[in-house]
Amino acid sequence: MPYFKIPKEKEVPLGCITPAPVGEQPMMITGNWRIYRPVIEQEKCTLCMSCVIFCPDACWQLNAEEDEVVWNAKYCKGCSICVRECTSGALSTAYELDFEDGVVRLEKPF
Amino acid sequence: MASIKQITVWARGVIQDKEGRDISNGIAAAADFEGKFTQAFDNYVDLPDRVNVPLRKYARISDEEIEERYEYENEHPEIVILADATIVKGMNVLRGMPKGGTLVVNTDRSPDDILKFIPNKELLKQIVCVDANGICGDRTVDFSGSEGGIDSVGIGAGVAAPILGALVKGTKLVKLESLAKVVKNNEAMYKGFDQAKVKTL
Repeated sequence: MPYFKIPKEKEVPLGCITPAPVGEQPMMITGNWRIYRPVIEQEKCTLCMSCVIFCPDACWQLNAEEDEVVWNAKYCKGCSICVRECTSGALSTAYELDFEDGVVRLEKPF
Repeated sequence: MASIKQITVWARGVIQDKEGRDISNGIAAAADFEGKFTQAFDNYVDLPDRVNVPLRKYARISDEEIEERYEYENEHPEIVILADATIVKGMNVLRGMPKGGTLVVNTDRSPDDILKFIPNKELLKQIVCVDANGICGDRTVDFSGSEGGIDSVGIGAGVAAPILGALVKGTKLVKLESLAKVVKNNEAMYKGFDQAKVKTL
C-alpha cells in the first residue's frame, strides 16, 4: 500500500517499463533494419540448428511438425550471422527489394 | 511560416551516418550561399548509434528568417531523401508530407520498382532515382562533424555527392554551381545530376 494516496488525475504512467512479452516483443520491432535477408533452401538443410542457436534475435525457430526451421521477418535485422554459421550451405543472402513480403512499415523508428 | 521548405533525409545508422548528415548539411550550406536562411540538424530521437537502424537528418530552407528554432523534427517534409532504398519497406517515409512532394532514392532500380513499395504514393509529385552507390562506390564511415564537432572529412566525399546532384535535378532547390562550392567530390555530383532518373506522377 502506498504511504499517501495519489489522486487519480495526477497519476503518471511508469517510464521505461514495457509489458512482459509472450513469444514476441511487439514494442521493439527490428525488421526494418534489414538490407539483406537470409534465404533458406529447405532441401539442403540438415536441421543442425546452428541458425537457431546463433541468431541473436531468435528469428530462426524449429517447426517440429514440418521438420524445418522457420524465419521471422518481423524481427530479423539482416546481420547474416546465420548465413556465416550455416554448416550445410543452405542459407544465402538476397537483397531485400527483390521480395514483396517482409514489409514492416512503422510510423516512427521509436 | 509556410515559406519554409522542410527536407528529411532517411539513412542507416552508423554505416550511413556521415552520408545522411552530408546531404542535409550540403543542401543547407548551398542554399546559404544563395542568401537563404537555413537550418540543418540530426535527430537524436532515433538513437542513431546502432548499425543499420533507420534514422533521420533534417534541413530547412527559407526566404525569411526561420523562427521555429526549438522544434527538432520536420513534421511536414516536402522533400524526402532515402540514402538507402530498403528503408521504403521498413518505414512510412512519406508521413506528414503535404500533397505534391518529392522523393529522392539512392537505388539502382527504376522509379516504378520503388513506387511498388509506397502505399501512399498519391502524395508524391515526382520521384527521383539515382544509383549513387554505383557512381561512387565508397561509403564514408566517419563520425567527424557530428554533434557540432569539426568536420575533418568534408561534406560530400562519399555517396552524398551524387544524391545531392540528383536532388538538384529533381527539385531545382539550389543552383548546381553553389552546390559545387560545398561538395568535395564534384565529379560524382555532376554524374549524379546527369544519371538521375526523374519520373513525374
